[in-house]
Formats: sequence, C-alpha cells, structure tokens
Amino acid sequence: MTIQNTTHFGYETVPLEEKASRVRAVFDSVANKYDLMNDLMSFGVHRLWKRQTIELAGVRRGQHVLDLAAGTGDLSARFSGLVGPDGLVVFSDINASMLHQGRERMIDEGRVGNIRYVQADAQHLPFPEDYFDCVTIGFGLRNVTDKQLALDAIYRTVKPGGRLLILEFSKPTNKPMEALYDLYSFTLLPKIGKLVVNDEESYRYLAESIRMHPNQETLKQMMEDAGFEGCDYFNLTGGVVAVHRGYKF
Amino acid sequence: MTISSAALDTFEQLLNRAIRLDPQGLARLAPMHGRVIKFDLIGVGRCFYLIPDPCGVQIYQHCEGDADCVLRGTPLDLARMRSSRASADQLFSGSVEIIGDSALAQQFAEALFGLDIDWEEQLSRLTGDVLAHEIGHLGRGLFRWGERVRKTAGLNLKEYLQEELRMLPTREEIEPLLADIDHLRDDVERLSARIERLQRHLDSSEPTQ
Repeated sequence: MTIQNTTHFGYETVPLEEKASRVRAVFDSVANKYDLMNDLMSFGVHRLWKRQTIELAGVRRGQHVLDLAAGTGDLSARFSGLVGPDGLVVFSDINASMLHQGRERMIDEGRVGNIRYVQADAQHLPFPEDYFDCVTIGFGLRNVTDKQLALDAIYRTVKPGGRLLILEFSKPTNKPMEALYDLYSFTLLPKIGKLVVNDEESYRYLAESIRMHPNQETLKQMMEDAGFEGCDYFNLTGGVVAVHRGYKF
Repeated sequence: MTISSAALDTFEQLLNRAIRLDPQGLARLAPMHGRVIKFDLIGVGRCFYLIPDPCGVQIYQHCEGDADCVLRGTPLDLARMRSSRASADQLFSGSVEIIGDSALAQQFAEALFGLDIDWEEQLSRLTGDVLAHEIGHLGRGLFRWGERVRKTAGLNLKEYLQEELRMLPTREEIEPLLADIDHLRDDVERLSARIERLQRHLDSSEPTQ
C-alpha cells in the first residue's frame, strides 16, 4: 500500500525507493541460514505447503516454469525434476545472496542442465511475452514494493493456458488460530531469529510484513485486476498460509 | 493438506535415502526423469504418482494430466515385482495390471525394487569395519539358514502330500502319462496329415465334367 510515495516495511512506513534496499538487507542477513530457519519456524511444515503448491501447479515434462523469489530453491528443485531434461526452470530472485545460495544448492543436488539463473525484480521482468507455462512465487510477494505491478508483469510472461501460483502467508480463518499465530510470530519468532542467526530484527520484519500483506480475497482480486481468470485460493494450516492460483486464457 | 501429505513426504524422503544407498540407484532412474508413473493400490483405495528426478523420486497424491503408465495391483503384488522374472510372473498371472507404457513400468519396477544396498558398508560408518563385517557375516549366515529351512520345509511338505496323503502324484507316476499324451498327439497329427494327403489325391483324380 503506498501513500504519497511511501510504503510499508513491516509496520514501519518508508520511502518507496527505500523498501527494496531494506528488504535486500534482510535477505543478505538471513541467506546462509535460510533453510534452517524455515524448518525451525514452521516445524518443517513449510515443506508440505510447498508440496501442495507443486501439486496445484500441474507442471509436466517439457514445460517452461518461472520461479520468482526462488530463494534457496525449494520449489525450483522440484520443478526441475518435473519438467525433465526437455523442460526449463528459470530460477529468479532479486537478491544476489539468495540466488547464490540457491544455485549452490541446485548444483550440489545435481540439478543442472534445465535450470537458468536470473537476478530480476518481479516488478520488471526481463522475459518474453507469453513464454511460461507456469509462474510461481513462494513467500516472496509480500516483500515486493508494488504488488500489482508485479502481478501485471507476471501476466505478460505467462502463455495462454498457463497459470500463476502464489504461495504466501495470509490471514488465519479463525480467531483462536489468529491469536495463537500472533503470539507465536511476534514473541517467539524474533527470539528464534536472535538465537539462531543473531538477527532478531529481520524476523520481526517477517512477522510484521505478514500482517501487512493483503488477505485472501484482496489478493485474489488483485490477480483478477492483472488479467488472470479462474482465480481461486486454498487455505493451508487454518489460513496461516494460502495458495492462490489464476489462469491466463 | 492432510496427514497423508506428511506421510507421503516422509515416504519420499525414506525412499530417496534408500535409492542413494545403492551406488547405481540414481543412474538407473536417469533415463526416466520427468516421466509420471502412477501406482493404483487395490484394496487400499489410494493412488500416488512417482516421478523420477536427479535426486531420486518425487511422490505426489495428485497429478494433472495422464500418467505415462499405471501399475495397478495390491501392495504385496506390486512389491513382488523385484526382478524381471518375478515381475513377468506378476504380469502373466494378472496380479499386476499395466496400463500405458509397459516398458517404462518394467524399467521403473526393476530400478526401484532391484536396489542393491551394501548394508555392511553402511553399518561400518557406525560400528567400524571389523564389527560391521562380523555382523554382516552373522546376518548372511542367518539368511542362508532361513533359505535352508524354507527349502527343507517345501521338500517335507511335498513328500507328505505325495507319499503320506497320496493327494498328489509323484514325478515318476506323471512322466509316463505325459509321454503317452505326447505320443497320442503326434499320432493324431500324423493321421491328420495322411487324411489331408488322401483327400488331395482323391480331388486331383476325380474326372472333370
């Protein structure tokens, strides 16, 4: 949400042009312990959220997939296996540190040949029009400065018949879950961050950025505004996380 | 997201770990990367999809589009497809049904069920070479003993059914019967050939009108 050339960085209001650098600093700080922290914070459940996303993506052999905000490549790794040697996965992240971590991991796993690495801003994608069968963005959209701009850019790159999947933290669907979630994310999460990576502030930003992210219906509307059709969302873990899916016809 | 997702995730991790224990495990799966193999479990009412990839296999509950091949059978019958001979037996007996690319199904079953894991080598990482060898030696001895017991029990059962209960004939009783059947079949074929030759002779000697 932007008001007079400002936007949110967690609960803080910052100039528009400052958000990207602040987000970059967060991910530069957490990059080398990213996977460990994901496992600790979600008790390993993030793997099941990503598995669900992969099933909903419907990617098949030979297809072209763009994984935005790919991070350390949890989604890209699976897509690389699904598209096979004749397909293509474009592993993209705006943060060079995360991209480096991801590329190292893919190479260590032997996932070479059908992955290309691109450092790119989701708001200004350097890819051809109508190119990808599937575009995914996992736990990255909430960090984008102008989300609608990113959705518009993604729409351009999806080929007719293709789809977009957004995996992101969302609004819990019931009050008890919401209360528990607030307690966990504002109290425990920063402490885990301080203990494991000596960075309490980055994980406080994580909790705050989740609260500032659009809820399920709002994000669905934003996808439709970008041109996607047949949009729907699937709540996971009581709405703590949601997978949004839309098609380009 | 259900408990079965968590179970599948765990199963996938365990299976991939087992595949990586065989030095040739990943290489055998390489030609099948990206192919979709569906396992339809009869009796359990479940199905899942396996897709080989560079790190082993990916396993899912759902997959869009058609699978490249479907293996349908009970879990036990599918597990019995451990060797090309055993899997051929399963196919011909109808225990396991294959729909789609049968060569892919055969190749995948052999790759998956034919894992050759050097357990002694794996154990030696925990216990050291000497103890691992002793344990391995003991294990192989137990396995050989089990095989002997199995074979002996089979022979004893055969003898009991043939000699004691007289429910089944012995080989010596069956073989003369089978030889007589072979002779009879050959005689019938010779007779049939002779009748055909006579018929042709009669047809060719009849005056044309």
